Amino acid sequence: MFNKTKKLVLATTTLITLNSAIAMEHHHMNQTIAEKVMINNPWVRSAPPNTPMLGAFMEIHNNSNQAVKLLSADSKGYKRLELHKTQYEDGMMKMVKQDFMPIPAHGKLTLKPGSWHIMLIAPESVPREGDTVMIDLVFDNGLSKTVHAPVRKAKKMMGNHHHMMH
Amino acid sequence: MNNKLLSGIGVIALAIAAFYFATAGKDYQALKKQLKVSYILHNPDKPLPEFSLLDHNRQLFDNARLKEGWSLLLFMYTHCPDICPTELFDMSRLKDIMEEDKTANMPSVVAITFDALRDTPEVMKEYITHFDKDFIGVSGDQAQIDRLIKPFGAYYERVVYDEKSKPVILKASDELPKGALEKGYIINHTAWIYLINPKGEIFAGFPSPHKPSAMAQDIKLLMHY
Repeated sequence: MFNKTKKLVLATTTLITLNSAIAMEHHHMNQTIAEKVMINNPWVRSAPPNTPMLGAFMEIHNNSNQAVKLLSADSKGYKRLELHKTQYEDGMMKMVKQDFMPIPAHGKLTLKPGSWHIMLIAPESVPREGDTVMIDLVFDNGLSKTVHAPVRKAKKMMGNHHHMMH
Repeated sequence: MNNKLLSGIGVIALAIAAFYFATAGKDYQALKKQLKVSYILHNPDKPLPEFSLLDHNRQLFDNARLKEGWSLLLFMYTHCPDICPTELFDMSRLKDIMEEDKTANMPSVVAITFDALRDTPEVMKEYITHFDKDFIGVSGDQAQIDRLIKPFGAYYERVVYDEKSKPVILKASDELPKGALEKGYIINHTAWIYLINPKGEIFAGFPSPHKPSAMAQDIKLLMHY
């Protein structure tokens, strides 16, 4: 009887210890990923004042050992944001809606015109050049980030290197 | 005697025609070799169909408008998040480059919508002139636009999403399902830019992606030919 109780206590203690260890590990992992996912050069392309769509671009760096997925994006003042990729297929340029954007371990994903981009749909008012758009990004593992993306023509960013656009 | 004379004239006429045809063909070959980002599409035997559309000031835009000089023509739509604004931005950069170059003349830029339903002349005016005040937006009857794009080899399809968020492809001739206008739709489309000669004929084409500085070089060669 005593032995049985002892065993049960031991088992419970082990379980609790193990459980909190896993929880700590999980917490630790999130923190690490948060530090190791970096967003560089976010920008929103300036568009005509009656535009129904805008495109947001950036570099997402992943310095961790695990692949990370961008799951969704959100911003106040828009009907919704979608993850898209422009693809050349059957002679046509296609906007293909994506369920997520993959950022490889120790790699980066570049969002740029003619490629991966975040689509900002139906703005309440179209931001002007020089404005800043705040975009919330949600990654897998519960990580989220807010980026401040200035609105500008591609021109400024490209300088004389027009090939950067493509 | 008369018959002989006639056939003689016929032979000479044929020889002259053959000579011109051969030289024209040869010169295109020489020109083709110099082109970096474009393809000659000129076929005078296949003129554009007669069309009658509206420019962004609701003025008639028909074949005659393409005979006023050289034009760069592209097809687009304003709900386009990526490719169309990129193309129009590239055209504004091309205009800057061509205007700086004293030996170049910038053709007029004409943007015709694939999506007349949403892109009225008023919508086109605000959208197109944002990129450059001289650019001309064109809209009008969808059936005429659909007919006009064919000789360019241009085509498009509309994409709507059903209740399960699955994409449904609609051809140009398919009707939009109910609620599509409210929910929105995107258009997959070809993205060439075409150079139209002052006879209103398709002369050359530029596939995407477009490099304005390389385009400027080719356009100069094509226009000075």
